[in-house]
Amino acid sequence: MTTATVTTDINIGPFRIPSNGQNMIMNNYAQRNNLVIELVIPEPLMSNALATVQWLHEERKLTKVILSSIHQLPVNQDRIDNLLKNMEDVEFHFALEGISGRGKVFLSETIKEAKMFIEAQTIDSTKKNWLSLYEIMIKNKK
Amino acid sequence: MEIKKELMHGKGYAVISIENMDIFKKLRDAFIEKINTSNAKKDIDSVRKVMAKMSKAEINKLMVDLLKFNNLSEMIINSCPTLIESLCGKQLFIQRRATIIMNVPGEGQPKQWPHYELMSGVSPFTYIIWAPLHDLEENSGVYYVHQKESLELIKKEQAGGLVNGPTVLNMMPNQKPTPLKFGQAIIFNPFVLHGNITFNSKFARVAYSSRFQSYNKPLLQKNSDYLKYYQLN
Repeated sequence: MTTATVTTDINIGPFRIPSNGQNMIMNNYAQRNNLVIELVIPEPLMSNALATVQWLHEERKLTKVILSSIHQLPVNQDRIDNLLKNMEDVEFHFALEGISGRGKVFLSETIKEAKMFIEAQTIDSTKKNWLSLYEIMIKNKK
Repeated sequence: MEIKKELMHGKGYAVISIENMDIFKKLRDAFIEKINTSNAKKDIDSVRKVMAKMSKAEINKLMVDLLKFNNLSEMIINSCPTLIESLCGKQLFIQRRATIIMNVPGEGQPKQWPHYELMSGVSPFTYIIWAPLHDLEENSGVYYVHQKESLELIKKEQAGGLVNGPTVLNMMPNQKPTPLKFGQAIIFNPFVLHGNITFNSKFARVAYSSRFQSYNKPLLQKNSDYLKYYQLN
């Protein structure tokens, strides 16, 4: 019975969250949901394989894993397959999105949703001001 | 004027009638069921009466508890599917956790100061739907500022390097909230200034709000932390 939090690279999909920020997000989520954290797992930067988590799961038999966001899940299909195979029985929690579940269907749907957000267009707010955003709305709103 | 045109080229906001009242009533009943006001009867006015005497901390705790009302956003969207499809199509990004807003009557209670929804980082392609779960008493609703005037204020403040600065924040006095009945909602674009004022009543005001946009339009700063993908049937 081990509940673990996982920190990863600072670049998390559309977000940029330092690891101490990730810990704050996950600890707050755990507190709000009455989860007691027993293990903190640092994944290496520039990797979203969650390989350390899977390696530790073999020994520690993790029951719950908390991540900051769905965008920390693997993107490559072989890595997704490994995660689905090795961690099917683990309950995953995603603090920013406030969702949780377990099993291949839940994880596959969550990975699919993360991909939809990554594929969605975005406006770079650092290159806009309020009036230019208003112009965008007027010109392009369906 | 057609609602889409009103939202883009007219006032920027419009009063609408909820299309599916069955879902809307279920939404209100689900709220009553979930809200933890043990000394209130299970009807909206009894709950509102208990809330009207609650402290700010108690109201805040209720609002945090209601984050667990995780199908609220879908219920809101499904109560107005035709309108929403006409604005954004069937593939949507919708607010992951819609908001239930509880306002307590009387002076000294928290009020929502004038603001544009865009300030939170939603996309310019976002629409906001807001509806009370009961008939509104006088002045207990939200006031909306015509988008032409809202835009002039943006221009004025932007020229001074500000957004939502003192000009906007000092607009609260002399505003007149829009009256609404149960079964009506307001939909508005993210450039429309709005807020509320102090009101007097024996009852708290309870309303929901949710934000949505087309999946095929760009996001701004809000992402999976705030939105989720949703497809209308």
